[in-house]
Amino acid sequence: MENIPNSVEIIAPDLDTAIAQAQEELGVPAKDLEAEIVDDENENTDGGLTIRVRVLMPDKTPALELEEVSVAGCQIISQLLGHMEIEAELSAAYQHSTNDEEDPYLNIDIEGEDLGILIGRRGETMDALQYIARVMLRKKMGRWVNLSIDVSGYKNHREQQLRRLAHRMAQQVTQFGRPISLEPMLAYERRIIHMTLQDNPGVRTESSGDGNHRHVTITPDTIR
Amino acid sequence: MGSKMKELVEFIVHSIVSQPEEVEVQLEETSKKVQLWLKVAPDDVGKVIGRRGRIVNSIRSLVRVLGTHHSVRVELSID
Repeated sequence: MENIPNSVEIIAPDLDTAIAQAQEELGVPAKDLEAEIVDDENENTDGGLTIRVRVLMPDKTPALELEEVSVAGCQIISQLLGHMEIEAELSAAYQHSTNDEEDPYLNIDIEGEDLGILIGRRGETMDALQYIARVMLRKKMGRWVNLSIDVSGYKNHREQQLRRLAHRMAQQVTQFGRPISLEPMLAYERRIIHMTLQDNPGVRTESSGDGNHRHVTITPDTIR
Repeated sequence: MGSKMKELVEFIVHSIVSQPEEVEVQLEETSKKVQLWLKVAPDDVGKVIGRRGRIVNSIRSLVRVLGTHHSVRVELSID
């Protein structure tokens, strides 16, 4: 890394061209660069106008920033758990989304004894912890982080359970030709139901209701 | 017990508002129930309530963990 300059000056007809050129010279994606116009009315030899731009390398590489976010996330959660008198071990790992556009998910797993109290009824307490930790982390890092918290493998277990439920209910809906409304669920739980049944040609799924009453209804897809 | 709950609320609220010095949590406690009143700067009220009350309800859920642990009811109100 030591021979790479941390800023370059570029003369180009416009800002976009300058940044594109800097991206090539510095080998850093354009979105991580900061550009600053030094002189915006340079006349070149042909009499055309060019600008002089100084492009700065970011202080932190993206990998370092991710590491910093994950440490901050763990710190926030362990402080919250400390205040809640809960003893647990944390482990953090990034999960990269399938499309590169989206930021990776930061998964933090909480393991310990008797953590049922931290999961709560249908995962509500765990969801609250996740939400508060996300809000605190955004404030600390200045950007939104896709933080996902799991307690003792609850989410994975619940996902299997919801998939089985979805298939069973869909079968009943097609068999009897009548819609079935499921019990109210959290957003990520409803998403699992929708995803599980999206390729099932016999049914459609839809969420309705507000707040704590929001639930999925499975209806027969008769139009096909 | 109430003071532990007060600390938890203060810890969370301090780190999400823009004027932490204006945060005040008052406590009233009996053996069965803890009542907390939260006061923040007018500009920060929306931040602690959140869209559809999501933030304050999440704080309530977390404080309730301490309540369950010690078999006391907790109520958190915004002043």
